[in-house]
This record gives sequence, structure tokens and C-alpha cells, in this order.
Amino acid sequence: MLDAERISYGYSDEETIVRDVSLSATEGEVLGLIGPSGTGKTTLLRLLALFDPPDDGTVYVDGTDAWSLSKEKRTRTRRRIGMVFQDRSLFSTSVAHNAAYGLAVRRSWTERATDWLSGLVGGPDLAAPVEDALETVGLAEMADRPAASLSAGEAQRVAFARALATEPDVLLLDEPTSNLDPRNTAVIEEAVAAARDRGIGVVIATHDMQQAERIADSVAVLLDGTVIEQGPADELFESPSDDRARAFIDGELVY
Amino acid sequence: MTTVPLLSPVFTPIPLQLSDFSVDYLVSIIAVTLQVSLTAVALATVAGVALAVVVGFTDFPGKRLVEAVINTGMGFPSVVVGLVVLIMLSNTGPLGEFDLLFSPGAMIISQFILALPVVASVSLSAIESVDESLADAAFAAGGTGRDVQVAVLREARYGITTAILAGFGRAISEVGSVLIVGGNIALNTPTGERVSFTRTLTTAITLEARKGEIETGIVLGVVLVALALTVNALGNALRARGEH
Amino acid sequence: MQAAGAGSALGLAGCLGGNESTPTETEGDGGGGGQSDDDGGESSIGDGTLTLATTTSTYDTGLLDVVNTAFQNTFDITVETISQGTGAAIRTGRNGDADIILVHARGPEDQFIRDGAGVNRRDVMFNDFVIVGPPDDPAGINGMGSATEAFATIAEQEATFLSRGDDSGTNVKELNIWEEAGVDPSGSWYQETGQGMGDTLVQANQAGGYTLADRGTFLATQDNIDLVIHVQGPLQDGPAILRNPYGVIPVNPAVHDNVNYQAAMAYVGFLTSPEGQSIIGDYTANGSQLFFPNALAEEPDFAQYVPQDYGGTSAAREKARFQHWVDQVVPDDY
Repeated sequence: MLDAERISYGYSDEETIVRDVSLSATEGEVLGLIGPSGTGKTTLLRLLALFDPPDDGTVYVDGTDAWSLSKEKRTRTRRRIGMVFQDRSLFSTSVAHNAAYGLAVRRSWTERATDWLSGLVGGPDLAAPVEDALETVGLAEMADRPAASLSAGEAQRVAFARALATEPDVLLLDEPTSNLDPRNTAVIEEAVAAARDRGIGVVIATHDMQQAERIADSVAVLLDGTVIEQGPADELFESPSDDRARAFIDGELVY
Repeated sequence: MTTVPLLSPVFTPIPLQLSDFSVDYLVSIIAVTLQVSLTAVALATVAGVALAVVVGFTDFPGKRLVEAVINTGMGFPSVVVGLVVLIMLSNTGPLGEFDLLFSPGAMIISQFILALPVVASVSLSAIESVDESLADAAFAAGGTGRDVQVAVLREARYGITTAILAGFGRAISEVGSVLIVGGNIALNTPTGERVSFTRTLTTAITLEARKGEIETGIVLGVVLVALALTVNALGNALRARGEH
Repeated sequence: MQAAGAGSALGLAGCLGGNESTPTETEGDGGGGGQSDDDGGESSIGDGTLTLATTTSTYDTGLLDVVNTAFQNTFDITVETISQGTGAAIRTGRNGDADIILVHARGPEDQFIRDGAGVNRRDVMFNDFVIVGPPDDPAGINGMGSATEAFATIAEQEATFLSRGDDSGTNVKELNIWEEAGVDPSGSWYQETGQGMGDTLVQANQAGGYTLADRGTFLATQDNIDLVIHVQGPLQDGPAILRNPYGVIPVNPAVHDNVNYQAAMAYVGFLTSPEGQSIIGDYTANGSQLFFPNALAEEPDFAQYVPQDYGGTSAAREKARFQHWVDQVVPDDY
């Protein structure tokens, strides 16, 4: 549903971070984006999340060029895409407020004002999708805790729940478990699988080879901003065709 | 002359000679002080935070220069502001028709001008120190530009409250400009008592000092400090509650 | 029906037209009494406030609290008093930011009326100046009968002297005396405070220096300082140069049509009335009378109305003046 066709991007004229990349987020599939750190994975995900238009190439959503849409339409399109960042980026409010943020921005300002007011008086409970999302990451009992009091792993799980709660079609994950302990990593990976089973298209950037082998259905290898190899996960891990890709998969430094 | 017994550590009452100062007069001075400063700070908050949002969230040529100007404005000599406002509001000046000179309105204007850069600068600093990833997170969650701004402002609320308190501090301790544009006027009631019209705690202190009534000046100073501390305490309490 | 409507409309128009030609009606101010429109109602004059710019010495003695209260109770006009130095008060009057000034520097006052900035000057009250200093009198001027000699001695001895240095009436008098004494004061002994009389007295007290003070402020501040009078003013047989007369001058409404001229004239009337004058005479501080009223006199005192160097008028001049007015305001087709 989300397709990048030959996109390139550079912050200035001299450096090109992403060069001629084509890949897709497919329903019910996990695409692993692997490669060394600093190779453009984050920039690529940001392009897919429609932060900025690519310098070259097109980003299609359901076949339409996302950047040909009006700002309002594009905002609505963005709301079908969820994203989790490498550093938690939670607001300094409660867990519930963070998790519900994605839903909150879809409401009008008057509605939000009434929500806040009724919240002060101890108003309605969490919306169902928010509760489900928190359940999926195993944090439903922590809804009222302040986000600042969470551990790194718990915080990342809340960020995941925030992205899930809006019931997106695509989920973009930027090295979501790179700073987490094995237990939290496992919870996140289970949540990824659950999302995939629900039909969400997941793109997960990671430099952890084992993680990619565990959860990815297909894999794209990114090196120096280009995709040097792409294909079904088991095939690629078994016998990568590109030499550099093989070197990376084998654990050697590729520069 | 009112005498106030003051107990020293050895419990000997020492009479404090105060000049003619009825409680009503003092209350009226405090009222004018608060009315002027709170209004000025409220206006400065609206304008200052808006300015900080505009500068903080947009990139434009000359942004560094604008930031430098805002920061310099914080330390701008207040008497100069007073003189400029005097010229503007004087009968012979461009804004003379509004008849604002020597009224609380003129004082609000000059305190507003002084508090604005303080509020703007500290708010801007607070906004800019919010991690960019937070803005990104708000955007990625489907927020519009406005949503992102609100999310960042909410994160910066601690710093913005500091900004407002700092602005209030600047406003309430202001003497020079307020003296020039306000005229330090006290009216007389039918019984001859004084009631403040444009007399604030600071200008009242100036007057008492001018008359050589040092003790009265000090008492007024204590009241002023107590007032400032109270407002600060309230602000801090609000700030702490807002953290949850 | 329609005719009656038209008739009343015309009548109204005629009424409004009539108002506009009345000289007392100015924009904004409701004018006096009857024809006032909305915000009048009660017997307010103009907008009901009188802005008075005066000196710090008049205000700090507390005299104006009493005078203004009595005035307000008589006239239902609120007095807003701004106490600045004489120089600043005159400037405020020139700008039309005040309706009336009450000051004590005849030279600048004369310039004020000579320039047409103020009209209808009246003498109100007087006291005098005194030369005060530390009780131990380092310059040895105590008891001198000449102010100029005292100043010259201070300069010669380079004894510490504090000047207001702020264009106030006191400052003007002080500079006059230096000039008369033929001395140009300068050096580290001569210090300009740039502050009010009370502040300057306090500072002189702390520095152990001399200064020139109006007797009123000195008497009112006496309890807080150790300075003593070394050279008396004319009220106690001192030299006439130390006289301190106060004058009140409304701002000329022809220059600034927004001033509350009628209220200003009411204030002049009050100050120079028997009632006002006795309030002034009865006012004491620390048991002493501070001001002596001098507005009421059976014999005429023309000097108070004009600049001190006014050459008087003549029949020829009066005739020319009248012709000027005829040319000015009487329409050609009259």
C-alpha cells in the first residue's frame, strides 16, 4: 500500500543520504531494512512517513503520489501510517495520554477541550483501541503512570502502543529495540508479529541480524543509501547474491 | 506619625517612626501595583509566547538576528523605555489623543514593553530545548503543524512558566519608567486620606526616600518583596502540579 | 405626521448647529453646565479631573493633600497631582499634559507666560530659602547676612556643597546666587545630586555638606537629619535674594484645546480665595507654619500677572492690539 519508487534525498546539494531506492510496505508482511548504522535507514523511514518530499522519485500511497495531494489529504494519509522512533520520544504526561495521542489529534479542538475537561473531573475510560494497544504491549495496568517514570523498555512499548492505537495500515519502526533488554525486545517482537497477523504492513529498520532473521518476511539491505539487495528473508539470508551484502550478513564490517 | 512596636531579640520594643500611612492607602498602592503588573504580564505572555512560537518553529532568513534582538531586549534600560513611551503618549506626541499619559494605562504599556522580551526570550529557550524527536513523534502520530506546536509547548510548559514569572519579576520591580509615564499620582478622598491612582510600591518607595522617610521606604520594600515571593510561590506550585 | 417629524429634525439640527458655534464647546470636553451631552449629568467641569504639575517641595510638605481635598470637596473635580521638578513641571505644562502648574521659579515662569504657554498667573504663597549645613559649620558661614558672601566663602573653602542640579526652583535660585556671587562652582566639593529636596537634604546630612533648601521642606524633614540653618532667609531677617514665591499658572487653552481650562481657573480661584489662602496659612508641619499666603491684597499687585520685565502698556499699544483682534476674529462681511 506504501510504495517508494526510485527515491533520493539529501539534506544539502553535496550529500545524498538516500539514492534511488525502491521498496514497498505490503499488507500482512514484515519488511526488514538492514544495514550498518548511519547508512540512511532513518532518513528512508522518514521519507516513507511523509516527513519531507524526496528530491527525486515518488512515494505512492495506494497508487497515488502522496506529495501531489493537498496538505489536508496528505495529513489524513499520514494517519494511516504509524511510526516508532529509536529514542522513545514520549510526552511528559501519563502513559494513557501518550498512547491515546494518535487518536486525540484526529479530534477537533472543541472535542479535545471537552475531553480534557472531563478528564479533570475523572471522565470516561480509555477508548477501546487504546486499551487493546496497551494490552498488546502488556502495559494495560500502567495506564495512569507518568511516562517519565517508565524504564526504557516500558517507554518503548508505550511508543509502540501509541502507533498501534490508531489502527494504521502501515507501521514503520526505526531500530525499536536497539537499546532494550532481551525481555522487552521479545515483547516488541511479539507485538510486531501480532500487527503483521492483523494485516498491517510493517517496515522495521534494524542492525540486529538475528532480529531480522526472527521476524522479517522479506529483507532489503541498505548500504551507503542504496538498496544493494532485496528479497524474501530466508532466501537472502541463505544465499545473498551481492558480495557486500553477504559480508554484512556474515558480520564483517562493510566499508 | 504611626509608631509600630518592633520586638528586638532582647524583647525591648523599638518604635518605628512611619510617615502618614493608613492601611487603606497601603492597600490601594498594592492594588495598583498588582493591577498594572498582572495586566502587563498577561499581555506580555500572550504576545511573548506567540512570538516565541513563531520564531521557534519557523526557519527564516535573519532568524539569528531576531533572536539576538529579543535576548538584548531583556536587559534594555527601563528609563529609556519610559522616556520613549512618554514622548509617544504626550499630548504633543503621536498617541496623545488617547489621553493615556499619567494613567495606569501608560504604566501597563511601559511594563508590557519591558516584560515582553523576557517572556519571549525564556519561552523561546524553553521551546528550543524540547527534543526534536518529540516534535517528530507528534508529527508521525498524525499531527498537523498546529498539533506539533501544541505538543512542544506542552513539553516546554515548565520553562514557559519560568518565563512568565521572570516577566512578572521585571514588571513589578520597575521604577524609572513607571515614574515617568505614571506620574506617581495619589488622589485625596473627601476626608483628605490618600488613595493611589498611579502610585506603585516602587514609586511610593521613591517618594518616601525623597522625603527622607527611610524606615517607611524599607517597610514598603518588605511588602514588595513579600508580594513578589508570593506570586513566585504560586507560580511554582502551578508548575509542580502541571508536571503530572 | 411627516411634517412634524421634519420640523423636529430641523429643530434638532438647529440645536446642534447652535452648539457648535458656542466657544465653550470643544471636542471631547463636554463644556460647562447645561449643554453637556452624555458623560456629564452631575456638575462636572470638563472631564471632571484637573491635572496639576507641581514641584516636589510643594508636594512633599503635605500641603497639597489638604488644599486639594478642600478643593475637591468644593468643586467635584478630582485633582491628579504630578510632583516633578519645576523644570519638568513647566515642560509638562508646555506639552499640554497638565492643565495647570504650581511652581516657584520666577525666571522660568516668566518665560512660560512670555511664550504664551500659560495665562492668568497669580501669586499664591511664599516662604524662603535657607542655607543649611552640618552643625560644626566647617566653612564658618553661620550667621552671615549675605547669601552671596556665604556661597563665596563655601567655594573658597571648598566645603562640600550639594546642588539639586535638576532645573528645580531651588536649583534655579541656587544658580542665581552663584552668579550674583561671581563664582562658577566646580570641583569635587560641588556635587550635583539630580534629586529632590528631601533626598538632597538626606544626602547632605550623610556627606556633612551644605545645601540650599526651601524652608518648608527643611522644616518637614528636620526630624530625620542633623543639618542646621546657617544663613536665614528673609522670613527671619535674612537677605531678600533668598525669597521663595510660588505662582500658579493655568495652561493656555488656545495652545492646547484639550486642557481643562475651566477647572484650572477654578483651582486658581480656590487657591487665591480667602478660604484657600487661610488653608495655606494654617498649614503647619512639626509645629511651624510652612507657607505664607500672599494672594489677597486690597492694593493692586500688577507684577504678578506679567513677566517681571514687562514694560507696561500704552494707549497706542492697546489700540493696535484691539485692531489685531478685529482683523483676526470678526468676519469681513459682518
